[in-house]
Amino acid sequence: DFEASFIRLIDKVTNGSRIEINQTGTSLYYQPGLLYGGSLEHECSPSRSIGYYLEGLLCLAPFMKHPLKIVLRGVTNDQVDPSVDVLKATALPLLKKFGIDGESLEIKINRRGMPPNGGGEIVFSCPVRKVLQPIQFTDPGKIKRIRGTAYSVRVSPQMANRMVESARSILNKFLPDIYIYTDHMKGASSGKSPGFGMCLTAETINGTILSAELASNPQGQGAAVLPEELGQNCAKLLLEEVYRGGCVDSTNQSLALLLMTLGQRDVSKVLLGPLSPYTIEFLRHLRSFFQIMFKIETKTPEEEHMGGEKVLMTCVGVGFSNLSKTIR
Amino acid sequence: MEEKEKKKHRVKHSGPKAEKKRKRYLNELGIGDEENVRKRNPKAFTVQSAVRMARTFHRTQDLKTKKHHIPVVDRTPLEPPPVVVVVVGPPKVGKSTVIKCLIKNFTRQKLVEIRGPVTIVSGKKRRLTIIECGCDINTMIDLAKVADLVLMLIDASFGFEMETFEFLNICQVHGFPKIMGVLTHLDTFKNNKQLKKTKKKLKHRFWTEVYPGAKLFYLSGMVHGEYQKQEIHNLGRFISVMKFRPLTWQTSHPYVLADRMEELTNPEDVRINPKCDRKISLYGYLRGAHLKNKSQIHMPGVGDFTVSDVSFLPDPCALPEQQKKRSLNEKEKLVYAPLSGVGGIVYDKDAVYIDLGGSHAHEKEEEEVRPNHELVQSLISTHSAIDVKMASSKVSLFMDSRPLGSEDVGQEFVMPKEERQIDLKTGRVRRKALFEEEEKENDDVVSDDEEEAAASEDGSDGDDEDDAEEESDRELLGEKVPVGRAKRLKTELVKEEPVNELPAFADSDDDLEMSSEGEEGKTAPEENEMEEDDDEEEEEEDEQRTYENESSDSELEAASKRVAESKQYEINSEDTEMRPRISDHRLKRKAVLATDSGNCTAEEASESDVENFSLNEGDDEEGSHDELEVEESSRKGFPRTQAKKADGISQAKLKAIEDEDDDVENLLKEEEEYEEKIDFSADTTGALKWKEDLTQKAAQAFLRQQRSTPNLRKLVYGTAAEDEDHESEDAGDELGGLFRVSRPDKASKQKANALDCSKFLIEKPQDWNLEEVMSSIRDCFVTGKWEDDKDAAKLLEEDEELYGDFEDLETGVVHKGKRAAEGDESGSEEEEEEDGKMSKPEPEEEEKKQERLDKKRKLKEMFDAEYDEGDATYFDDLKEEMHKQAQLNRAEFEDQDDETRVQYEGFRPGMYVRIEIENVPCEFVLNFDPHYPIILGGLGNSEGNVGYVQLRLKKHRWYKKILKTRDPLILSLGWRRFQTIPMFYIEDHNGRHRLLKYTPQHMHCGATFWGPITPQGTGFLAVQSVSGTTPDFRIAATGVVLDLDKSITIVKKLKLTGFPFKIFKNTCFIKGMFNSQLEVAKFEGAAIRTVSGIRGQIKKALRAPVGAFRATFEDKLLMSDIVFVRTWYPVSIPTFYNPVTSLLKPAGEKDSWSGMKTTGQLRHERGIKLKQNKDSLYKPIVREKRHFNKLHIPKALQKALPFKNKPKNLEKKGKTPKDQWRPAVIREPHEKKISALLSALSTVNNYKIRKAKVKHREQLKEYLKVKQKEDEQKFKRQKEAKKKIYRILGQREKKRQMSSLKGSSKGEKSM
Repeated sequence: DFEASFIRLIDKVTNGSRIEINQTGTSLYYQPGLLYGGSLEHECSPSRSIGYYLEGLLCLAPFMKHPLKIVLRGVTNDQVDPSVDVLKATALPLLKKFGIDGESLEIKINRRGMPPNGGGEIVFSCPVRKVLQPIQFTDPGKIKRIRGTAYSVRVSPQMANRMVESARSILNKFLPDIYIYTDHMKGASSGKSPGFGMCLTAETINGTILSAELASNPQGQGAAVLPEELGQNCAKLLLEEVYRGGCVDSTNQSLALLLMTLGQRDVSKVLLGPLSPYTIEFLRHLRSFFQIMFKIETKTPEEEHMGGEKVLMTCVGVGFSNLSKTIR
Repeated sequence: MEEKEKKKHRVKHSGPKAEKKRKRYLNELGIGDEENVRKRNPKAFTVQSAVRMARTFHRTQDLKTKKHHIPVVDRTPLEPPPVVVVVVGPPKVGKSTVIKCLIKNFTRQKLVEIRGPVTIVSGKKRRLTIIECGCDINTMIDLAKVADLVLMLIDASFGFEMETFEFLNICQVHGFPKIMGVLTHLDTFKNNKQLKKTKKKLKHRFWTEVYPGAKLFYLSGMVHGEYQKQEIHNLGRFISVMKFRPLTWQTSHPYVLADRMEELTNPEDVRINPKCDRKISLYGYLRGAHLKNKSQIHMPGVGDFTVSDVSFLPDPCALPEQQKKRSLNEKEKLVYAPLSGVGGIVYDKDAVYIDLGGSHAHEKEEEEVRPNHELVQSLISTHSAIDVKMASSKVSLFMDSRPLGSEDVGQEFVMPKEERQIDLKTGRVRRKALFEEEEKENDDVVSDDEEEAAASEDGSDGDDEDDAEEESDRELLGEKVPVGRAKRLKTELVKEEPVNELPAFADSDDDLEMSSEGEEGKTAPEENEMEEDDDEEEEEEDEQRTYENESSDSELEAASKRVAESKQYEINSEDTEMRPRISDHRLKRKAVLATDSGNCTAEEASESDVENFSLNEGDDEEGSHDELEVEESSRKGFPRTQAKKADGISQAKLKAIEDEDDDVENLLKEEEEYEEKIDFSADTTGALKWKEDLTQKAAQAFLRQQRSTPNLRKLVYGTAAEDEDHESEDAGDELGGLFRVSRPDKASKQKANALDCSKFLIEKPQDWNLEEVMSSIRDCFVTGKWEDDKDAAKLLEEDEELYGDFEDLETGVVHKGKRAAEGDESGSEEEEEEDGKMSKPEPEEEEKKQERLDKKRKLKEMFDAEYDEGDATYFDDLKEEMHKQAQLNRAEFEDQDDETRVQYEGFRPGMYVRIEIENVPCEFVLNFDPHYPIILGGLGNSEGNVGYVQLRLKKHRWYKKILKTRDPLILSLGWRRFQTIPMFYIEDHNGRHRLLKYTPQHMHCGATFWGPITPQGTGFLAVQSVSGTTPDFRIAATGVVLDLDKSITIVKKLKLTGFPFKIFKNTCFIKGMFNSQLEVAKFEGAAIRTVSGIRGQIKKALRAPVGAFRATFEDKLLMSDIVFVRTWYPVSIPTFYNPVTSLLKPAGEKDSWSGMKTTGQLRHERGIKLKQNKDSLYKPIVREKRHFNKLHIPKALQKALPFKNKPKNLEKKGKTPKDQWRPAVIREPHEKKISALLSALSTVNNYKIRKAKVKHREQLKEYLKVKQKEDEQKFKRQKEAKKKIYRILGQREKKRQMSSLKGSSKGEKSM
């Protein structure tokens, strides 16, 4: 269902792709077309959050023919996928590192929608680039500040404050520079279902951004969650993320690796935390598609107070250039 | 007379003498020097005009920046591939002579015939690949794409020819390589002056084509059919110091200029179907970018292929290793030209050629020295590296371990010779004949490597043979070898056991590697065997083997201790490393074989293998023969192994060893299981569906897996990439089964069940409330402790210290006491050291010195950084950045060996690679002609696709015709040459792409065609046909790719016409334009127009006649008006893409490829006259005189008009009534006379009067003249008089004034 929606989305951004699904829905034939871009709208299936669709788009958007500007509607935050807030906070700075920047690179949350009914709306726009820059991103640096958003829709606005309080209580032991915004959406911009949650980001002096998030259980599923508990857990998740470390957030590992692969024929390096299973699978796909292998080295931090072990990934780009972009 | 003869002395005004004189003169004056001028006259050198100065400055800056290129990352490898030198020119200009002379110049070897590329070492750091380019336009296009340097030969006695210009234009389009002109045939000029003139003329023309100042070489006369030595030497110098600017296309695509081609098709297939698709391997230096295995390539002239296998071989024409000396010695001046049959080192992984010396360069060819002798030698002293062997070029090694029959070997000797000696045409004929004969004499196959390939392709038989041999070898040495290792294994196993729930994936895998390493070691004897395979006699080989075995036996017996033996073995293995490289896949396969066979006893294995073998080869004719051989060998193997075992038993530990060996086997199995387990666990991590009890452990295991590096790599990529190699090579091979991890399957399985989500959830979060856990990440925050080199306080300290030290340096005094205050950690350490080494002051002193030097350097760096920052521009920064990147690129994988490096970054340029390609059309092999270059151009991702490509195109100004839309055109774009049907268009102001029927004469236009996707900005050229020769310029158009798309945007104008059938005032009904109401509905609101220019709009469809509609106009229409609507109809582009397969044509006809013909050609050939539309013929326009009706003005209007404009329609005079008629006067004769006289008189009178008048007028004129004169005089006189009067008056006035002044002064005085 969400897959179908995703395929439709892909169909929208491309030109000339052919998609055939057999009667029973067990086999899919996909002949890729040309990434076209432009101004689009898409209704995402509420069974997955927008983050699921957005992750795919983030990989494709820099290589469109025309700059992409798309309105996605559906669930903005849920418990499964990385939420839009997290992607906004982590993926966009990551894209900037690869030379994809400009004022048009942004994700804007117009409405928040929580599962099960969704009703959220975001605008994602991304400029196009011909080639990507290689990155050398091996020093994460030290964390200088922690930011975050605590959101609540169709519940008491007090919830957000309670979450903030509890999260701060944990994080304050490490760093004084913490600011967590409370974001209470009302009326039309609050979607169709109630819920609350928070996402936290830790920014280092070198511009690395690590993130963690949690959301409440959807209405009518599971036990109710106390906002204090959620806040604390979220803060702990962030600490866990910090423990894992690396220059790229664990959700964006695959994105970083993909963009490294698609770079010019230069060496790119990035330091990651432990590879997630998703990333490992992704690496295998990269090998089967691009015949590219990463040099994987484990790095143990010299001092003991620097968190867990890291992985240094090195690769030579395949020399990909955006063929669909028109030159004048 | 004598005086006149003498010449006067002429002072020199120019020239050195005059200059000298002037100087002397100036010096005498004391103002001689130039600098003095500045001093003497500083004003002359000041700024005259600020504006002009600003302008000049601006201009110089402009020029400076214009010189800049966009900096690119320098991706040239450390050991670059040979420079491709293309020698091009019209026929009979001396191309091959130049090549021969150059080769002779560099290598002191004389090649008789040049075929294909010739690679030579030209200097310590440079190699050249010289290739000749014929005048076939296909060749010219292909070679222009790969050339680094073009030697453009020009016949000076003739001048430039079309080929020269064509080639220049091709070069321009495909990136401009360096071009050097060479003028030949200069000795045909008898007149020196004429020669000079011609040189100058040609030079200037050359400069306009290339760039002003382009190098042009003059090769004056020939000596004994060669050019003069000195001139060639100079030319060589120039070539070998030439610098190249990287070309965009070349640096972004891998390409290989193949210098060797082998066919690997199974001869059986060829026998069954002589036209079957072939499998070939091509050899050459990789250039440009990194090449990845399984990537797409294009062979210009053949088509697109997927690389089925790539491997790198040792460089056949390597650069000398040590760079110390100034020049190369004779040994290092290598030449490599397999197609021309020189160089002799024809060897690779599954074929061997022993060069019998076609050229006299290799006098050392020893026929007597049998290779087995060589082998013994090599056994005794295996120190000689492969390079040395190559240099001596006596033997090339045979990598495949398949024993060769003597006939085979004989064949193998013949083949290359044949190829070498027979000249082009006959050679081709021979080749053909051979292929046809194949059916008859099956085993006398053309080239042995073909057979080899067939053998390895057959898979089982080749491998079985391997088996048969390996078994024995294994038994010989192998068993003992892994002893030590096995022990280690065991210990590791023990370690693991306590954690037995955990999958011991990592370690076990390592073990696997080790064991395989051990087995690699075992290949040592195998290699020996391989060499034996070179032998012509099987028996000799056997003897060899026994000898070898005996030796090893004796060794074994002598060595009572295992350790000693293993050491010995190590020595052996070292030796093997010294030996020629075995291509990796073979090695691995062997490893597999060995491990596999380890499960059963050797005898069993070999027997079963033999059985297999017989099964497989049963029907084959050769089969029986080969089988016999193998059986023999295996039989020989058995006794030996038995004997071995007996020996072993006598030794105490053998049993144990065997047990351990078994252990190893078991371990292997266990590993398998473990691996699977791990996969499973990985699956579950992916799935996030943990069995509850397993959760914790698995999570830990997962983390554990990630801990250590090699494991991580294996975790990600399966058991490295080696396994994949296996699978690809031994596809369908039962032996590969053991190692078939089949990652993809599992991966897909895992994928299917999982919720794909990039979030990395933590299964067991740490308890962040605990203090120690918290402290584990304490330093990740800015509030934590900093590292030494970044800590602000430390930095500050260091700076201070630096400063202090600087003072020290200045004064030149080293304060001993200060050292303590320096505060550096190292300093303090040294302090301690100092205490320890009080007795030895010298090293301390040295250290100090070192320290000082360090600091000095640091300071200098700082200063440099500061100083340079001032004039660092954006350009410099960019350049710096690129430079950094380039260095990183070089450094990153430098320390790894080639095998792993290849996995990471692909095959890097500069490597000598062997590329296997399958499904090549048989014509390519059958009609192979080494004179035509074979290029393998790598394609970037998605460059293998086809789509619509938009170009900007301009007809070449030298091309005589214009190009027609929808006529097929041959384009050269990227690597490809192909025929396609372009549609020309022009972009209107509103961005519409309007179809053009023909290209504009002197203007760019757009073109779209259906063809291969090529990156934007790539240049292309078009020719109408590649066949035949025309005296005209062949390049029809050039241009650049603009855009790639999947849809088309070209439209053509379509006018729909209709006729009014009912006219109201400004509205009318129009029919005949559309056929249905629906169509009308689509065009509602569209603008329409009549031919006469009345504009209107379509309003709504009518019901009555189908397709009629109501329309309004700005004026009333006439029934005779034609109404039309302008519409734009999208044009479909014919999806026609036909690669030019010129290399598939039979020899001698390679330049006669002809594809689709144009309609014009067809009509011309068939004599079909186009039936023209009568209406579109041009006829003289006959315009009938138009009669207008009379203007009718209404009465009311007439009345209102002013009189002037009133129509003056006077009534016609009616006939005068009769009564008003006047009677005619009839004169009498008398009266007539009178009247005649009167008229005569009056005429006379008139004449008189006229005469008098004229006279009077003349008189008056005269008078006026006189009068004027008088007047003038009078005026003069008056003027004179007036002058006089005025003067007098003036004087008088003056006097009066004077007097009055005087008077006043007097008066004053008097006063």
